[in-house]
Amino acid sequence: MSEQRQIGTRFLSFSLGNEEYAIPLLCVKEVIAVPEVTPIPFTASHFLGIMNLRGQVISVIDMRTKLGIKPNPAAETAVIICDLSPLSLGVVVDAINSVVSPASDEISDAPDIQSSKASDYITGVYRKDKRLTLLLDIAKALSVEDFQTMKKATKATKEAA
Amino acid sequence: MDDFELELKMGFLEEASQLLTDAEQCFLALETSPGDTAILEKIFRLAHNLKGSAKAVGFDQLGEFTHELESYMLKLKTGAIQVTPASVSLLLRCNDHVMKMVASLKENADSKTDSTDLLNEIKLQMEGGGAAEAAAPEPAPAIVEEPAAIAEVPSANDVGFEEAAELMAAETSKVIETYSQPVAVAPTSAPAPKVEEKKTEKAANANAPAADESIRVSLGRLEKLMNFVGELVILQTVLREQIATNHPSSRKTVHQLGKVTKEVQDISMSLRMVPVKQTFQKMQRIVRDTSAALGKKVNLEISGEETELDKTVLERISDPLVHLIRNSCDHGIESAELRKERGKAETGQVKLSAYHQSGSLIIEIADDGAGLDPKKLTDKAIEKGLLKPGTQLAEKDAYQLIFASGFSTKAVVTDVSGRGVGMDVVKTNIEQLQGDIQIETQVGKGTCFKIRLPLTLAIVDAMVIRSEADRFIIPLSHVHESIKPSESDVHFVSGMGEVFCLRGENLPLFRLPSLLNKKVQAKSASDGIAIVVRTQQTSFSVLVDDIIGQHQVVIKQLGEEHRGLKGFSGSAILGDGRPSLILELPDLVSRHQSKPATTAAPAPRAEAKRSAA
Repeated sequence: MSEQRQIGTRFLSFSLGNEEYAIPLLCVKEVIAVPEVTPIPFTASHFLGIMNLRGQVISVIDMRTKLGIKPNPAAETAVIICDLSPLSLGVVVDAINSVVSPASDEISDAPDIQSSKASDYITGVYRKDKRLTLLLDIAKALSVEDFQTMKKATKATKEAA
Repeated sequence: MDDFELELKMGFLEEASQLLTDAEQCFLALETSPGDTAILEKIFRLAHNLKGSAKAVGFDQLGEFTHELESYMLKLKTGAIQVTPASVSLLLRCNDHVMKMVASLKENADSKTDSTDLLNEIKLQMEGGGAAEAAAPEPAPAIVEEPAAIAEVPSANDVGFEEAAELMAAETSKVIETYSQPVAVAPTSAPAPKVEEKKTEKAANANAPAADESIRVSLGRLEKLMNFVGELVILQTVLREQIATNHPSSRKTVHQLGKVTKEVQDISMSLRMVPVKQTFQKMQRIVRDTSAALGKKVNLEISGEETELDKTVLERISDPLVHLIRNSCDHGIESAELRKERGKAETGQVKLSAYHQSGSLIIEIADDGAGLDPKKLTDKAIEKGLLKPGTQLAEKDAYQLIFASGFSTKAVVTDVSGRGVGMDVVKTNIEQLQGDIQIETQVGKGTCFKIRLPLTLAIVDAMVIRSEADRFIIPLSHVHESIKPSESDVHFVSGMGEVFCLRGENLPLFRLPSLLNKKVQAKSASDGIAIVVRTQQTSFSVLVDDIIGQHQVVIKQLGEEHRGLKGFSGSAILGDGRPSLILELPDLVSRHQSKPATTAAPAPRAEAKRSAA
């Protein structure tokens, strides 16, 4: 995996609970305050609903619920609008920290923990000043599994019908 | 290739598609009136245009082919070759071929198409035509070939563009290779190793961009739109000044702004509207080819082709229409002998018409053929195992049988129809477009299919309702009526749920939160409003807390991640800027009903076990 990672890629780091994560900056469209969200019935609990982004309707996902992280009640929350073509998604996080551009020797491979829920989406670990930032594959974290559950759900309803 | 050149080429290809559709119409017209020099002139001009522009933008292959075609047409024009059905067939096939070429060029401006076969045929015809009388035996082989040509036609005409492109992919990828590699290597580079070839092929397929579709808009409409947008800008400035100075008449300005906005909305919507003409004219060709393949004489009469319809709706109705037209030719119209026997004119009539009716578009496909026999339909359905033996159906229900999948009354499966797939697809396609299809038929007189379609899919008239704290949108087309039930009208029947007694009719009553899988608060039904929904299949009512209003809402599709979520057709942004879901109540109800069935089924068994124990 590490050979696929481009050297010099910049990441946007953000907090989920007390942990720090980062996603490639190129898939970030913008960062906004948490808007009013309309919930959608029959969806997984981390699907918060849909929001209006200047006339475009975008789904909002709570990354904390998704990864099973307790939210930090003190933190101010923000929504990162991610462009994962073909879809755009809003991701709720506790706080936005900074843009980091790790040197290649500062990134190490993800710890190989089979049981961890998040280990599938972690592409690497960035270590600096004794702080750990987990590099997140956002497309993998959000779409793959969710699409499958989505499809399964629709299949199930179809079969039931 | 630089951008300018590419733009030029793409512009040409757009134009070429237009020219080709025009040409096809002319060919068909030529067949009915072979001697018409005006048509011949027009065809000749079209071919000449095409050739000229193709060469100008550097599509040499296309230019060469059209050049040959042009010389053939010249002979037709001068009368050196007689216009026969065979020559028209050849022209049509050439037209298809050029369409294919254009389509593949659209995908990839460097693609090549092999046209030697057709070129040879043109030459053959030209030589044959030169020897005047020798042309006579010529039509025979051409006609024999026709079924093959027909089999090709639909693919080239409707589904074709992608398919043709796919066919091209193999050749194309090679071309890409030779074009992309020599940049670094000398132009003499040998073909790349096989592994890489596969890669590029994949890349070529993945990179093929979804062609940016374009639409023709009348200048008048655009100018009107510009005017209103100008007015909008002025009003906005006025409003800003009025607010700054706290002017009393700002309310009036807002009102005016609303009016202009509505106007802008209407015009922008109308920009998406295109006349059904092009799609209808395509049917001429379908009828011609289908009837020739079946050996019947069928005349297609078209009316209302100027009627306008949203482009996306039109595109999606095109295939169902083709199917219905073919069906009319095949199943509807009888063979010439049978028609004579029944005292009808030898040539069958199929009428295709479009008109507006109360906010919808109606497309009618009527034939003067055999009509549907309800008894035959029922018998056939029983034979196919779709119905239980001895079932008696009302005429209306029997007609609906033709939409059942796996149903076909035709004894023999032909090239054209009879496989029993299709009519069900036709119906689903139409229903997906929020439309419906009706059948009017009379044995011996003919059948008429009536398709009702919404004018646009982008905006709907809708009712905004409130259920607890949430607001939802219900398309007005679903709402049959809304009524405040009185306490005594609603009864609870255990095992069935609530029943609403409306003027003597018992309708199931669902509470919206329970349909949406939420907790239902115990509330009297008389506090809410019952929305009565009637579809062809069922009638039911849904209890909501309040009706907020009736608006036109602009539909925003839900993201990819929610596609296939049953019960919601999209979302719309309400006045306060919050998005709200558009409910498909029939889907929600069927979803709701399917659930208790699965959870309730095991329960009695468990009870039975317990009692047995």
